[in-house]
Amino acid sequence: MLSYILKRLAIAIPTLLVLIVISFLLMHSAPGGPFTSERELPPQVLANLNAKYGLDDPLWKQIGSYMWGIVSDFDFGPSFVYKDRSVNEIIAQGFPITLTYGLLSFAVAVIVGVSLGVAAAVRHNSLLDYVAVGVSIGAQVLPNFVMAPILVLVFTLWLGWLPGGGWQGPEYWIMPVIALSTSFMASIARITRSSMLEVLTSNHIRTARAKGLPERRVILRHALKPAMLPVISYLGPAFVAMITGSVVVDIYFSTGGIGKAFVDSALNRDYAVMMGVTILVGALTIFFNLVVDILYGWIDPKIRY
Amino acid sequence: MKFRTTLASSALALSLAFQAQAADVPEGVTLAEDQNYTFWLLDAIKSMDPQINTDVEGSDVLRNLFEGLYNEDGNGELVPGVALEHEVSEDGKTYTFKLRDDAKWSNGDPVTANDFVYSWRRLADPATASEYAWYMELMQVENAPEIIAGSTSPEELGIRAVDDHTLEVKITTPLPYFPQMLVHGSTFPVLQSAVEEHGDDWTDAGTLVGNGAYKLVEHQLGERVVMEKSDTYWDAENVVMEKLTALTINDVNQALTRYLAGELDRVDIPAGQYPRLKEEYPEQAVSTPYNCSYIYMLNVGEKGPEALKDARVRKALAYTIDRDIIVDRILQGGQKPSYNWTHWAIADFERPELDWADNMDQAQRVEKAKELMAEAGYGPDKPLDLTLQYNTSEDHKKIAIAASQMLKQINVNVTLDNYEWKIHTDRMQNQDYDMARYAWCGDYNEASTYLDLLTSYSGHNNGEFYNDAYDKLMKDSKTAEDPQPLYKEAESILAEEMPIIPIYHYANVDMIAEDIEGLPENNVNNTWYGKDLYRTAE
Repeated sequence: MLSYILKRLAIAIPTLLVLIVISFLLMHSAPGGPFTSERELPPQVLANLNAKYGLDDPLWKQIGSYMWGIVSDFDFGPSFVYKDRSVNEIIAQGFPITLTYGLLSFAVAVIVGVSLGVAAAVRHNSLLDYVAVGVSIGAQVLPNFVMAPILVLVFTLWLGWLPGGGWQGPEYWIMPVIALSTSFMASIARITRSSMLEVLTSNHIRTARAKGLPERRVILRHALKPAMLPVISYLGPAFVAMITGSVVVDIYFSTGGIGKAFVDSALNRDYAVMMGVTILVGALTIFFNLVVDILYGWIDPKIRY
Repeated sequence: MKFRTTLASSALALSLAFQAQAADVPEGVTLAEDQNYTFWLLDAIKSMDPQINTDVEGSDVLRNLFEGLYNEDGNGELVPGVALEHEVSEDGKTYTFKLRDDAKWSNGDPVTANDFVYSWRRLADPATASEYAWYMELMQVENAPEIIAGSTSPEELGIRAVDDHTLEVKITTPLPYFPQMLVHGSTFPVLQSAVEEHGDDWTDAGTLVGNGAYKLVEHQLGERVVMEKSDTYWDAENVVMEKLTALTINDVNQALTRYLAGELDRVDIPAGQYPRLKEEYPEQAVSTPYNCSYIYMLNVGEKGPEALKDARVRKALAYTIDRDIIVDRILQGGQKPSYNWTHWAIADFERPELDWADNMDQAQRVEKAKELMAEAGYGPDKPLDLTLQYNTSEDHKKIAIAASQMLKQINVNVTLDNYEWKIHTDRMQNQDYDMARYAWCGDYNEASTYLDLLTSYSGHNNGEFYNDAYDKLMKDSKTAEDPQPLYKEAESILAEEMPIIPIYHYANVDMIAEDIEGLPENNVNNTWYGKDLYRTAE
């Protein structure tokens, strides 16, 4: 197992390198630059800016010094657009926010989703099942950019219970978490339900029941764990997607999270911020894929590496 | 605004007639307990550094944290800031400012003429790499172009401190509107010791040293900016509003909902919603002119289509677009249809009488356009194909679709090209377009801020319209006793040559809380200062 983990980590480094180089080249090939603006800058002013940010160097040199900054000082460079801030500062401010609502959303999505899915499968074809399926389909088809404004309309304007946006304390977390977790929760519920239904018809469950185990024990002890296998493979990427933020949540709830910063950096051609967030998301994706693979082995002893 | 013209004509000591006072609360008005003002920002503030900032929203924040030589009042007239008054030399090229001696930085240091010298040099210095370095050139400050080009040291800039409270600025050509330009954020002073001590972090909350009426207490990027009244401000005793909060909300509709929920005191009204809100909240929905002009730029240069090199075709295109439909049916926010380039509300500016604008109705204009197209050799048998490029936005799209339908009347087939903002701009600047959506917002309240853009030497003239007579008028206007007739003539040339299709002049349409007073009502730049605001009791 240890050698497997080491091997995967070793592969991660070249993967990240390829990611960095490709993103870097793609970004620089997009028309316009960080200083393209409606008021075209006088050539000398533009030259001064390019010199300050090293954009007048050949591309290979830019990539080289960028990588060196990361490796030697863990410095992702200055933002070309938010000029008072470095990429490290922008990520340090935005990522904890994103991480907070991401982790909470993940917890809500998993707990509610799995419970709903299990309940629906156990009471297959009952009213509970229909309601659970109905709710999860409804939640899935309602996009969060529709849900977010509705939440604000209801809880802020009509009821006056919650602040409409911002990031100042726990009461500001509620609506972002609902908006972000709902569709993930729905997916988890559906996957859990179908996987559970399949597991419940398998031989070892029949055996467990034949032994006279109480139903509760059959479900929790014997059915749930194998039923989680497809759920887990969904959870890995879903987890990364949640903790690396959602541009919709950031826009509608003004959280100041990293999702909006990422999209803005692409539109603004803020090369450094975009690279910084890409590397962050890339590294997290690689890491959590590894975690998922390890979890597989733990859940299903038949899987060996 | 006689102020400007008299200034240009003779050397005189100018003393602004009245002493500026912060919030001007009329007698008998009861102030509310709560003196907090919360306003809306569409985007995160890119920089709190006066010499680095380039955004309108950034300027709104900076005006409260720093104070330049002059401020504007609610009508856009100059009022003293750090400068009390100035004198202009006989030749109009040397300005001597008398600075107040009670101005202080938020760390207690006095604000001196040297702070301005340092800051202006900093703006031009290539090492600062400011995107607004060109503003020093626009202001014609001596040696600015050479300093930006790196061939002369920043110490050579035409600004010096005669003593702690006397500042002298030398410019290369007389500029009648020079004092107006001093309201711009990039000319605000910064404190050298604060900048040098903290480097790029000097603008962080808690570290930032300013000389404005407020100090920065919190800045969560993309979330909020909080400013509290500064006790060191020279006029602090007249500042009523205790706290200013700016909330970033990236979605206009969401911002409106939060305004209606009472979270904000001022917010922009999304396009098309003004009539409804005006009816529902007549006291809160307001529309005021705003210093920007919306046009379709025509590519008349080398890379442009052959047809657009013909002024008759350009005029026909301009005549055919029905601006009333665009303004009344699409935008619905008090914008004005435009038939010329300079915004109608610019101080002292008067548009020349234009036959097509003033003496024809839309049907007659279309008739005239058809004639012009026929003369140019186009008609039902020989339609003209053009592309119209716009950057991603619902409003731009709606207007472009309407325009393309209107142009069908004169057998012009328009293909719409939508690009993301940077690509749109890049293509325009490389002349890869036929017609393109463009908007310009004036830097100051004077017509040259628009008209200079279409000179052959402007650097923003992306349509490559080059006209010697036009250039000459604009050059002459810089030294003219009264530049207004020349501006009028320049507009007439534009109407004759039609290098751009004017569409509409902007308006600010806002919801403003009823108990907030002191926001400008008649200032095209919408320059507002927290120090002028107050909240009345119900």
